[in-house]
Amino acid sequence: MRRNETRSLLGWIGTYVLWIIMSLVTLLPIYWLFVISARTRVELFGRPTLLQTTFYVENYIKPLTSTVFQRYLTNSLVIATSNALLVAILAVFATYALSRWKLSGSDSIFFWLITNRMAPAAAFILPLYLLFTGWFRIGGATLFDTRIGLILLYCLFNLPFAIWLMKGIMDGIPIELDEAAFVDGANMWTVLFRIIIPLAGPGIAVTVILSWVFAWNEYLFAASLTSVQARTITTGLAEFVTVTGTNWGEMAAVAFISLLPALIFLAFVQRYIVMGLTFGAVKE
Amino acid sequence: MFRWNKVLGFVIVLSMLLTACAAPAAPAAPAAPAAEEAAAPAEAESWWAEAAAPYAGVTIRGISESTPPSRYSAEVLTKQFEEATGIKVEFEITSWDEMYNKPIKDMQANTGIYDFVYIEQDIIDSYLAQDFMTNLTEMLAEKPELQSPDFDFDKFTSFINDFKDAEGNIFGVPMEAFIKVNLYRKDLFENPEIQAAFMEQYGYELAPATTHAQYRDNAEFFTEYGRENDLDLWGTTVQGHTGHASSTYELVETILPTFGVYNWGVNLDTWKACVENGGEMNSDAAKEAFSFWLDMLNYAPPEATSSTWDEVAASFAAGRAAQGWVYGENAAWIATDPDRSIVIGNVGVAIPPLAEGVMEDAESGAGYVGYYDGGAFGIPYSSNNKEAALLWLQFIGQESVQAEWAAAGSRIVMESTFSDPLIVEMDGKVDNYYTKLKEWGPLFRGAPPFPFHNALRGNMDPPIWQALAGEIDASTALDEACRIAEETMMQLGFGE
Amino acid sequence: MRSNRMGWGLLAPTLIILGVMGLLPFIYVLVVGFTDWNVFSATGRPVWAGANNFRRLVFDAEFLGSMGRTLLFTAIVVISELVIGFLLAQALVKEFPGKAIFRTIHALPLMVAPIAVGATWRLLTVPGLGILPHVLDKTFGIEYNVGRHASHAFATAALMDIWHWTPFVTLTMLAGLTALPKEPMEQALVDGANRWQVLRHLTLPMMMPVIITTSFIRIMDALRIVDEVYLLTGGGPGDSTRFMGIYIFRVVMQRTDYGYGSAVSLLVYYFTLVLCWMLFVGLTQIGRQQE
Repeated sequence: MRRNETRSLLGWIGTYVLWIIMSLVTLLPIYWLFVISARTRVELFGRPTLLQTTFYVENYIKPLTSTVFQRYLTNSLVIATSNALLVAILAVFATYALSRWKLSGSDSIFFWLITNRMAPAAAFILPLYLLFTGWFRIGGATLFDTRIGLILLYCLFNLPFAIWLMKGIMDGIPIELDEAAFVDGANMWTVLFRIIIPLAGPGIAVTVILSWVFAWNEYLFAASLTSVQARTITTGLAEFVTVTGTNWGEMAAVAFISLLPALIFLAFVQRYIVMGLTFGAVKE
Repeated sequence: MFRWNKVLGFVIVLSMLLTACAAPAAPAAPAAPAAEEAAAPAEAESWWAEAAAPYAGVTIRGISESTPPSRYSAEVLTKQFEEATGIKVEFEITSWDEMYNKPIKDMQANTGIYDFVYIEQDIIDSYLAQDFMTNLTEMLAEKPELQSPDFDFDKFTSFINDFKDAEGNIFGVPMEAFIKVNLYRKDLFENPEIQAAFMEQYGYELAPATTHAQYRDNAEFFTEYGRENDLDLWGTTVQGHTGHASSTYELVETILPTFGVYNWGVNLDTWKACVENGGEMNSDAAKEAFSFWLDMLNYAPPEATSSTWDEVAASFAAGRAAQGWVYGENAAWIATDPDRSIVIGNVGVAIPPLAEGVMEDAESGAGYVGYYDGGAFGIPYSSNNKEAALLWLQFIGQESVQAEWAAAGSRIVMESTFSDPLIVEMDGKVDNYYTKLKEWGPLFRGAPPFPFHNALRGNMDPPIWQALAGEIDASTALDEACRIAEETMMQLGFGE
Repeated sequence: MRSNRMGWGLLAPTLIILGVMGLLPFIYVLVVGFTDWNVFSATGRPVWAGANNFRRLVFDAEFLGSMGRTLLFTAIVVISELVIGFLLAQALVKEFPGKAIFRTIHALPLMVAPIAVGATWRLLTVPGLGILPHVLDKTFGIEYNVGRHASHAFATAALMDIWHWTPFVTLTMLAGLTALPKEPMEQALVDGANRWQVLRHLTLPMMMPVIITTSFIRIMDALRIVDEVYLLTGGGPGDSTRFMGIYIFRVVMQRTDYGYGSAVSLLVYYFTLVLCWMLFVGLTQIGRQQE
């Protein structure tokens, strides 16, 4: 809804006041997190103040130089990135299939996909644990404490939304394009990679971004289904809370560090979110 | 536009390569404090290498909590063990919740994930009732070739009794033990001006409390003192988190016994809790205890209702309480570590205040004055590497590693550690906590032998939390709690 | 050539992964929900119990309480997020310098892990450590204690959720708004309608699909909330923030009551399904009426 009339000065001021207030509200908790990460343990005991003049860089150096923590960071990166890509690929395939073929039962499948996100997580940890440790065994290897295990598991949460989103986009790409290409002698794969994917670009971008963020931030399953090797950074955060005192400063530093990759991602691609969501949402 | 296909292709390949490298890499331990070599004589070293020969190259996996004693064993002792035996140890350090959840799932489903697990003394009976743990006594008897010359169950303190079954078989090797004591601020209590002011107001001398009435007077006095002098000082700590198990624990483990209500007020013969049925959970003494504790909230810092054991220690270390019930493992760092505490050198250790008759009960063995906390490492019955794990357990149970471990984590599980020069030196700095641990140890006791510890406590939490939030009073809360306790026990098949 | 087999082939990997990770565990939970199973009961093994668990549920005051609480919480946060998100999206449609920066800042909370959100808000609100109670006490003399007062805890949990998820709503609404055709609105204004009428009769009906989608996703997630609130209050004080997700977590993890926990999960799942279905029907009806 674009207004054509000239904006009065009051309108401009109102907009900026609104956005400055919103930004302050948004940033306060994150700023506070940062302030805590800059304080020593003993400093945290004093009366809390809003401003911070010193910076206790130890809180950052300790985790960054710890090999365990570095492993967590690497694991999170690999899992999130791989899962995002896997979801994108599978979603493209699946929605292409759903859109171009009249497969029987596809409506029910579609509906069932969405419902995967409706169940509370806690009770499903047990069967997933059993799945990961016993039901699937190749040689001596199980899915427990592996990165590939989590990468596959997160599809459960990310695929439904991805498919929901991409279905609208796929339906919006006219089938005539496919047919024209087939007439020219292309096979399905060429159509997919040369025509469909480029056109669905923004949607794919959104899928990748949102899946990545979810996988990066997930805690409950990562904590239950990994041990020493495949542990992620969010689980590492929970380790800080102990019987003998939570090291809030270091924990805040780790939380802040785990925020950064997501932020970088966001800064680069946020315009695609809006573009991509447009295609999916409107075609409901 | 986007060269999606090319970029996609490249990234897919890259990520496949990365995930393929998900094969377990050698466990990398974080930067560990410089540790001396295990002071084991040369013959002992070769004994380890020999005994471990059939298992060299095996990896055992264990899980424990993220506390200093566990960290020490994970960071220092594992390295020593690996060097001596060639057996690798993958030690998972995790949060308190997960430390219970994961081994329970593992053992119950028999999936053989963990080869050694942390057993807190309050859960051992639950584990034994389900045959989760390996009988170590039996195992050592059957395989004498695995018995280390430097390992002897008799060298441990009486704490090891918590991990024995009715026949005396041992199921865990103790690795940490502490008593929950009363800490108080020596600088405040020994200040002549403050002493004079107290005498004027209350008519008797200021001293660490031995009765509850005195404790209350102290708390009231110091809260007032803090307010008048604009200090962030209150009279006592209260572990009163209105949504975490720690508050229930403080009530049943620490407060109730000091009023003469033992074993949470549950009758261990009939599995009943309410007074009408032979229990004591809602007895007058228990209600008095709970009221007293709730009253203490008035003299506690505002974060008390958000405080678990963690925050209680932090509050005391921040100088926000003049007295407090604090777990022993915190006493040491609160008294000595300048990076984490601002009251170093001013910490006094005392037995919690007691009602009449409780001390006699404790001395005779009929009761106890407080909580003896701690844990052991045990081998799940589901483990596939029991022999290698047994070697590990003996390694950490050696006399030679105890002293430094004690210095790092302020825990003592072996008699001989008390007289070790390292400990004796530290003792003076922590108001003789270690000497007191030795002397008073027998007066304290661990959790009652419940085979359903978690479920019972989990169900009892709500009314206790509601009382802490001020929604119901102590009497109603305990009536409700005992009713729920009996229901829970019956549901699980105990008591009629 | 383009046989159905091709189509199924493309769909297959998705179905396999979701079948294994989603369907199998669901069937397991379904079966366990009909058993009596606590790891530390006298028997320790699952015992067939028919519909006992579900019967117990109906009379379980604790569960019913948590359900009511969760519904209230969900209603408050979802409606707030929809309204605020919509308004903010409106404000973002027009161009103004610095818009991209503000939009990026606004989207920040989405990037924070739920567990970190809980920890951050705990750091903000715990007396002694947090800045909020301190400022409220010293400047306004108001006592603000999340551990003590049920209303404080509930309000803080709601605020936290609104802070965390409004950006999601803003972005989806913005996407929807930018995709709308401009002519109908402009035509209506020319024809003499005021802005409010345009909003009510044109914009909102056209935005219905987006509103439905967004509210669905938010409702599903709000009903299941765990990590954030658990870190903030643990479910307390008492039970004032013990939402269904946390209740189930306690039953399954802390009380090791797998049978009952599974039954509750199934009920919540079914309940969410029905709720979303009712909402879908309801909102599409309203959408149709507007036309």
